[in-house]
Amino acid sequence: MPKIEVNERLFFELVGRRMEDTELEAALETAKAELDGWGEDSADGGGRLIKIELNDTNRPDLWSTAGIARQLRVRDGGTIPEYPFFSREGDERPSEYTLLVDSSIQKLRPYMAGFVIAGKPIDDAMLRDAIQTQEKLCANFGRKRRVLSMGMYRIDLIKWPISYKGVQPDAVSFVPLQMDEPMTLRRILAEHPKGKEYGHIIADSPTYPILVGADDGVLSMAPIINSADIGAVQVGDRDILVEFSGTDMATVALATSIVACDFADAGYEIRPLRVEYDFDTPFGRAVTFPYYYQTPASVDAGRISKLLGESIGPEKAIEALARMGVRAEAHGQHVRAWPPEYRDDFIHAVDLVEDVMIGRGMASFKPERPRDFTIGRLSPIESFTRKAKDVMVGLGYQEMIYNYLGSGKDYIERMNSSADSIIRISNPMTENFEYVRPSILPGLLQSASVSSKAPYPHRIFEAGKVAFLDEAQNYGTSTRQRLGFLCSHQMADYNELAGVVSALLYYLGEDYTVEDGDDPRFLHGRQARILVQGVNIGVFGELHPAVLENWGINMPSVACELDLDSLL
Amino acid sequence: MDPRSLLKGLHPLEIKVLLRYSPGEPLNVATLARDLGYVEGHANQAQAWLSSKALAAETGRTSMTVYELTPLGRSWLESGSPEERLIAYLAEHGPAALPAVCQALGIEQKDAGSAFGRLSREGVLAMTPDKLVAVADAAKSRRTEALRALLAKAAADGGMLDDAALDAPERALMGEIAKKRGAGDAAFRAAERETVTWALTEAAAAVSALLREEGVSGEELGAVTQEMLESGSWKGASFRSYNIRSRPARLIPGRRNPYVQFLESVKDKLVSLGFEEYDGGLVETEFWNGDALFMPQFHSARDIHDVYYVANPTKAASIEEPYLSRVAETHENGGATGSRGWRYGFDREFTKRLVLRSQGTVLSARQLPKASVPGKYFGIARCFRYDKVDATHLSDFYQTEGIVLGEDVNLRTLLGFLEMFAVEVAGAKEVKYVPGYFPFTEPSVEVHIRHPVLGWFELGGAGIFRPEVTEPLGVSVPVLAWGIGIDRMALMALGLNDLRELFSYDIENVRLRRALQK
Repeated sequence: MPKIEVNERLFFELVGRRMEDTELEAALETAKAELDGWGEDSADGGGRLIKIELNDTNRPDLWSTAGIARQLRVRDGGTIPEYPFFSREGDERPSEYTLLVDSSIQKLRPYMAGFVIAGKPIDDAMLRDAIQTQEKLCANFGRKRRVLSMGMYRIDLIKWPISYKGVQPDAVSFVPLQMDEPMTLRRILAEHPKGKEYGHIIADSPTYPILVGADDGVLSMAPIINSADIGAVQVGDRDILVEFSGTDMATVALATSIVACDFADAGYEIRPLRVEYDFDTPFGRAVTFPYYYQTPASVDAGRISKLLGESIGPEKAIEALARMGVRAEAHGQHVRAWPPEYRDDFIHAVDLVEDVMIGRGMASFKPERPRDFTIGRLSPIESFTRKAKDVMVGLGYQEMIYNYLGSGKDYIERMNSSADSIIRISNPMTENFEYVRPSILPGLLQSASVSSKAPYPHRIFEAGKVAFLDEAQNYGTSTRQRLGFLCSHQMADYNELAGVVSALLYYLGEDYTVEDGDDPRFLHGRQARILVQGVNIGVFGELHPAVLENWGINMPSVACELDLDSLL
Repeated sequence: MDPRSLLKGLHPLEIKVLLRYSPGEPLNVATLARDLGYVEGHANQAQAWLSSKALAAETGRTSMTVYELTPLGRSWLESGSPEERLIAYLAEHGPAALPAVCQALGIEQKDAGSAFGRLSREGVLAMTPDKLVAVADAAKSRRTEALRALLAKAAADGGMLDDAALDAPERALMGEIAKKRGAGDAAFRAAERETVTWALTEAAAAVSALLREEGVSGEELGAVTQEMLESGSWKGASFRSYNIRSRPARLIPGRRNPYVQFLESVKDKLVSLGFEEYDGGLVETEFWNGDALFMPQFHSARDIHDVYYVANPTKAASIEEPYLSRVAETHENGGATGSRGWRYGFDREFTKRLVLRSQGTVLSARQLPKASVPGKYFGIARCFRYDKVDATHLSDFYQTEGIVLGEDVNLRTLLGFLEMFAVEVAGAKEVKYVPGYFPFTEPSVEVHIRHPVLGWFELGGAGIFRPEVTEPLGVSVPVLAWGIGIDRMALMALGLNDLRELFSYDIENVRLRRALQK
């Protein structure tokens, strides 16, 4: 979930008024955001930085100073902002800038969009914010630039029209940001820090993407790195081209709209960019951005009332949506809503219902006691496990609870066991948590191993789940509820444990027999398989001295493991 | 020390000494044996205990030799020494060859040889011209007689003879037969022994006087015995007082684990609110772990850095239909749910990939196809996350989740449930709700509570399952879904501040952990 820092002065300017901390905190809740703290005062005396954490991954429009401020301003009763620079289907804005997208890029990273910021020089706060927006949008929404990347360029150095195309890796050289000599695209991918970080996105392609002016001056190697001259925007630059490239047209268009609205809110003039594609796109062959591509969403007032538990007619719903910046109109009981230019998160009617909820405010919904009668009950295995645990406590055993992940050393080697049926994790974070436990015994032995200073006798047990490979199952694995116990002291022997097993199974109401076992964890001739109605439900016996030695245990120990699911 | 405070801690063995002797009177093991009938152990205990209270002090030590009857000595006493048996045999059977005698008596030849040597020097036995051994004069066997007398004396004295108690001939004989080491083939073992002499101190006088004043005799009864109760011998007797302030012995009881008990208390609470518990396997498919919850397959939380993958096998054989087709369609274009979907190509191989369950909501999704309406279900599920383990993160941990199905459930009922959890499960006094975000619910809310100790914190998240989740799984009514975080409450209830401690391997640590707060 993204965390951003916003400039306090700019933020409250955009909100329209100052807010105290507690008021700000409450207001941020309507944007599913949390006040995360305060940063350093910014260097130019522009005020403190407010740290904010955003929870809604479907609302990238909130990941900027202007975006959050807009949400708060409108929610506070402000009017829904107008963005007249948007083109719509059949209603195109005139543009003095043209971008040509060549067919050579179609298979690689086909979509590009953008606009030009003009009207006043970019200031420090807004430039920082734009860079932050770029990072957050491209990292989270753009899945680390795979789906979306963004660039900004100094327009006075650009010769129009500009072209976006795919070229041979060695065909073009330019000086990238952070370097001072021309490099081929291939070299940039191999040597430049950004090339190494993001190169995998395009590395498999025979051609690499490039954005160039009419004079062949390179703007950038999208989505990797900008040129060191045209692509180096600084505070005070007046006219700036903002560009987005990516693999999904809607994503590219939405990101363009979000950043354009942010700059518009901050008082900049937004000039459209006409993009001419050499191929068909979901929005046509020529699109002027920012482009309103969203389609209206609708919901019945009845559905709103049913889900929110409150009678909310179309008019009240429209009012609430307006406070969320959403324009809507009623058609009988039907509410039709147009997503704001910077949003595209109405996937289902229920998404509108939530906006109605937030627009009305959580405080307006009174909690209501549920009326449906249902019978509560524990799962059968939970009830049965509790019975077994009660008996174990009566027999003098201390209950333990352990982690379910562990190492091959603990689960396999130290247990004298084979790795045949153990579940291994293919992407373990460390070898300490590489396997799912196939048995409760390793946990008990680890306890005995680290507890030699605890007064003896040790009598411990755990009831919990184990899992192991099982070809007969659809998932190739089985999860079982087990009970394991261990007894450790100078006189601990088979007979003592046999008495415990006998008492336990007596109270669980099971008749059982034993037969010789051949489990390598136990001593031969001093271990038994437990059979209930002919089915093997567990094993107990004297732990093999080799196993005890593996765990560094110097005390005679006996242990048992029973499958509770089999007894249920 | 105050004599009265000493009184309670006195053992009868001490009391009798205090009453019998005066300060300065020389005492030793023999004195106490003679006067009070103490065995050596009791006499030593009385001395040690009295000395520790400064009521007695050592006055001197003397060293002397003692002779202990060995098992061999005892067998000689019972069935005769080799000499006695040799004489008796020859007297009965007449002259015989020494090897034949040895075989008949089961005596080793060297022992018989030395016995013959001694007896022939005394003139008791003699060798005939044809090399047979014969009795010469049985009456001359004085050494044999003296040996028997010595064995008998030792046996009568508890198997022990003091050097001081021997006369000169006895001492001479003892010198011949006793050994200090390797006494297994000797009748006596010789040992040096120290005798300690001690006496009551002046301080004892006050205590003795107090004992007399209180009428304590040292004959008071100790433990109440079965025999005492059967015979009624306790009647009229008095019982010794115990020191009730002495530290009790430590017991190690069988006991439940406090963290597990905490989890069970939450389960019990939810059952009391009408919820039925569900359960499931630790290994899941991407399908149930994410797809069925309408999380797009490219969602960042489904990354290799968030979920553990199973290495062997990597995929389930199949995914249950019709759920797979419906969910796939819903992701792609919304299917029959009224949604526009995520608009991408659903990967039917990826969905089969096996992972370790990363969220408890999986079990809620699995419950939907078999749930009743109305229905309330919950689970406390062990989940696995690709996280670095530290005080606030574990690689496996519990999540508490549940669902409510009903024709008429809605946001306000959801808030009603959250309020119940806040008050009943978390003991909160103040509750507030704020909009939240979860991929599988819409609308979504978070519940924050003011806890009496922890202050404001997020108790959990909740919402109404998206139709894209419920409808493909065959549920057409609204489903409230909630999850509450109980780890912080668990830590507080157990007085801990590190999540790793919840799953402690340390036996002593768990034994000493106190039970839940009230």
